[in-house]
Amino acid sequence: MRPALLMFGYALAVAWLTPALLTRLTARGSSPRLGLAAWLTAMASAVGAAIAALWFLAGAAVSGWPGLAQAVCRSVAGHVCAPTMYRSALFELALTVAAALAVATAFAAAWRYGRGVQRAQARARAHGQAARIAGRAMTPAPQHAAPQHAAPHHSAPQRAVVLDAPQPAAYCVPGRPATIVLTTAALAILDADQLTAVLAHERAHLAGRHHLLTGLTRGLAAVFPAVPLFARGPLEVARLAELRADDAAARRSGRRTLVAALLAMGTGAAVPAAALAATGGATAVRVQRLLDPPGRTARGAVALMTVTLLLAAASAAIPALAA
Amino acid sequence: MRGFGDLEAVIMTRVWDHDGPVTVRDLVDELQRERPIAYTTVMTTMDNLHRKGWLARVKDGKAYLYTATASRAEYSARLMREALDGGGDAEMVLSHFVAQMGGEESELLRAVVRRLSGQPGA
Repeated sequence: MRPALLMFGYALAVAWLTPALLTRLTARGSSPRLGLAAWLTAMASAVGAAIAALWFLAGAAVSGWPGLAQAVCRSVAGHVCAPTMYRSALFELALTVAAALAVATAFAAAWRYGRGVQRAQARARAHGQAARIAGRAMTPAPQHAAPQHAAPHHSAPQRAVVLDAPQPAAYCVPGRPATIVLTTAALAILDADQLTAVLAHERAHLAGRHHLLTGLTRGLAAVFPAVPLFARGPLEVARLAELRADDAAARRSGRRTLVAALLAMGTGAAVPAAALAATGGATAVRVQRLLDPPGRTARGAVALMTVTLLLAAASAAIPALAA
Repeated sequence: MRGFGDLEAVIMTRVWDHDGPVTVRDLVDELQRERPIAYTTVMTTMDNLHRKGWLARVKDGKAYLYTATASRAEYSARLMREALDGGGDAEMVLSHFVAQMGGEESELLRAVVRRLSGQPGA
């Protein structure tokens, strides 16, 4: 019983205490990669500890069944609890049902998580397929303008298509092949260099498999919206993934070009403001960061790495300590 | 042309470029002017497109007459809605170059543009 409680406590502590700390440490985006590692480690660590706790609990219940029945009976009925009571079939049945319910709840959560992630992927696949049919292949395909030897690095096949639409938009859809979608309105407001920057940004998302990171973490948020780490994590992971992609695009095209592209796409947008307003000015923050890059302070990086390593070590050590 | 998916795009483009309904034979003849392609390949692809809802067909004697169920523009608009609406399932995995923003943020960006281009603030 004790190892299970210990691990459950650890999971709760990570889930409730790390978001504020990590938000502060990763706010300036000086090292998006370390930031991503820290958030993902925290989430994986909390999930892992919770699963391990359930596993131990189940094990304890099975191995110590008669004693457990007695303990539960005593805690409910006190002195009145007699062997005839807790050895009765009815009591065993009730206990079994309760245990089965707990396990079923855990499985239901896992199933909802898997289905949510899978459904999002199916929608993306269908979206990419439709975009490749309804869109026109981008000509001249800008990826051929890049040196050929650069291609095999992101080996996954990908297409760039242009959709006829009045909203300036650029996004990438994971899949085989992955699809980068641009609208005619976006092409109209981007010059050649800015277009290269936008494409480099989207390719960095695909090469870094950022859709997996955001998809898997948003799935957690969908199932456990009340857990701070899972509610906050996906937003931060998405934000840091954008910064990663910005860095890649800035390396390819220069910061000025990327900023110009961001501003063009950001202000030329006749897009309804409604949906993602809650992201709290993500684009403005990205522009600010590119114009005025935060120095990579050693202290910030060390703090992030320390937190990440502690989380990783704790998730490994607790089961060992508990056993 | 690299894969089956590409052939679907090629065929839809042809169908959209036609004013009226087309038969498999019409498209095979057109495509063969550019490259060798088997009748059955085109037929299978059009059958798939029909199954997926891109093409409608009516029997005309022994052949089917195919028409697009919606114009290219309508499909583009539909895709844009799906990509930009947010909150949907697809939003979970699409990575936009810029997130949609509130009025305050776009005003801020416009101010940055004004500053960078040296115009006096409006």
